[in-house]
Amino acid sequence: MSADSDSVVGRFLKGVIRGDDADSAVRQRHTALKRTRLLRRLSQFALLVVIGILLVGSLVMVGFWREEWIQYWPEFTDALTQYFPPELYFGFLPAVDVGRYYQFWVEAGLVGEAGITLAIALAGTILGAPLALLFGILGNERVTPFPINFLFRGVMSIIRSIPSLVWALIYVPLGGISPVTATLAIGTDTIGELGRLLTDELEEIDDGPIEGISSTGADKPQVITFGMITQIVRPFIAWSMFILENNVRSAVGLGIIGAGGLGVTLSIEQQTFKFTNMMATILFIVLLVLSVEMISQRTRSYLRGGDDDEGLSLYDRIVGLPERLSKSLF
Amino acid sequence: MVLRVENLTKRYSETTALSEVSFEIPDGTFAVVLGESGAGKSTLLRILNGLTEPTSGGVYIDDEEITNSRSDVGMVFQQHNLVEELSAYSNALTGTLNRTGFFRSLLSRQPAEEKELALEALETVGLLDEAGQTVRSMSGGQQQRVGIARALVQQPELLLADEPVASLDPSSAETVMAYLRETAKTRDLTTLASLHQVNIAREFGEQFIGLKQGRVVFTGSREELTTDVLEEIYGHIETEELREEPDPEAVIDTAPEETPGIGAKP
Repeated sequence: MSADSDSVVGRFLKGVIRGDDADSAVRQRHTALKRTRLLRRLSQFALLVVIGILLVGSLVMVGFWREEWIQYWPEFTDALTQYFPPELYFGFLPAVDVGRYYQFWVEAGLVGEAGITLAIALAGTILGAPLALLFGILGNERVTPFPINFLFRGVMSIIRSIPSLVWALIYVPLGGISPVTATLAIGTDTIGELGRLLTDELEEIDDGPIEGISSTGADKPQVITFGMITQIVRPFIAWSMFILENNVRSAVGLGIIGAGGLGVTLSIEQQTFKFTNMMATILFIVLLVLSVEMISQRTRSYLRGGDDDEGLSLYDRIVGLPERLSKSLF
Repeated sequence: MVLRVENLTKRYSETTALSEVSFEIPDGTFAVVLGESGAGKSTLLRILNGLTEPTSGGVYIDDEEITNSRSDVGMVFQQHNLVEELSAYSNALTGTLNRTGFFRSLLSRQPAEEKELALEALETVGLLDEAGQTVRSMSGGQQQRVGIARALVQQPELLLADEPVASLDPSSAETVMAYLRETAKTRDLTTLASLHQVNIAREFGEQFIGLKQGRVVFTGSREELTTDVLEEIYGHIETEELREEPDPEAVIDTAPEETPGIGAKP
């Protein structure tokens, strides 16, 4: 890198010297272009240096360089063999002992725990969504006049700036460390997240239907209901499904602080160093989250894409998923 | 009823969209406003509908000045302006909003007569069988007919149509215009449509108002709408093409600005 930039500087200097006796317009233009290109390269290099400094500085602050790396490495590899207990299948084929995971799933009743996690996410989403709709609509400038609409937007911003885990801590005096608290936390979080998405959706709706409904002599609540809300019903359902996905993950996280469900099992197994059981729980969480995502994405692509999506083979669905996801998101 | 417009002027900060516009349309007449893009046709219709406030001048229906005219005036828009997520029937039913309370309209609890009115309006525009269809799934021409139905359900005194067929293909445009004229005739509705296609205007209009740069340059009947008059309204090029093909039916396919708009389905 430095050798390269040295030669660039050299060429630049030569260019400057030659620039003095440059006669033709082409040569002058050439010199000017070279200078711009050099400047661009120099600023790119400077940017890389800044990013490098930021990285090193951050790593120093988190105490990344330490001797414990060597000390703890064997413990980690040991934990890995417990995470993924090896087993010889048919006496010769080494693989992960899936049976032990399954055994724990049954023993610990993970289906029931998953039910609690799912219930926390569902209840939180369903309680929060109508309020998110209300706040999202009231935050729109066409519905509420300018300074007042920012009151609702502000409330949503404040809600969003506090993570759901912290909301749970705030609600602990009310509901104790329980699924109820987790539900309240997720419901609150949903208002902020979903509300903001709906505010954005409302910014982009067509004026046509609003004007059409106004022209019939409808009053303002009717114009809002028929001209505006009708346009965001589909996005509202689609975004609610997306938020539900996120909320299932949040519910697992809240479980780790003891609020119930799979997260509790996870933290208990971790604290008692039963790493195989812990990994069994993690895999079950993956299964749960993936199934919710699958249902949610199917619903969303149906709502967003309309009929475009029909007739896709399973292969197309899986391979094209990222693309369709991004399409449905933006 | 008789529509009378007196000295209507609309100024935006720099430009004058309408300047001292005056005309009168007799009861039950199908009138057409002609003019190039930017001549002030849309502004005029939006003022008549109450969507835009005039700078000065007045609008009178049967000698009574109207100020908030929305519920008395039915409007058909170029881009239909329907609620695409709802069915044709629900859209027609939004024509009753001005006389239905908020919660009644929210729950679709309009009186039975109102619901019948909506279905009758859909029958008038030939869409009774499609009443349950989502507007989104309908063709451009069908959507515009739903737009006419919605305006009818308002039971307006005056029907306005702002470029009702500009975004439709020629044959749908014919159908929609035919329905519009039929509707206006059978209900004896005074109608004012803005059109930029001279051929369609000539075929369907009874009275004509020519606008140029915000001023009325012509008012008169179909017979009085000569090529010279058109030349004054539009300038040279379009009337040249008109001379070449005098049969209005034939001209529709070749009219210069009549390419189907975006979203128009045959």
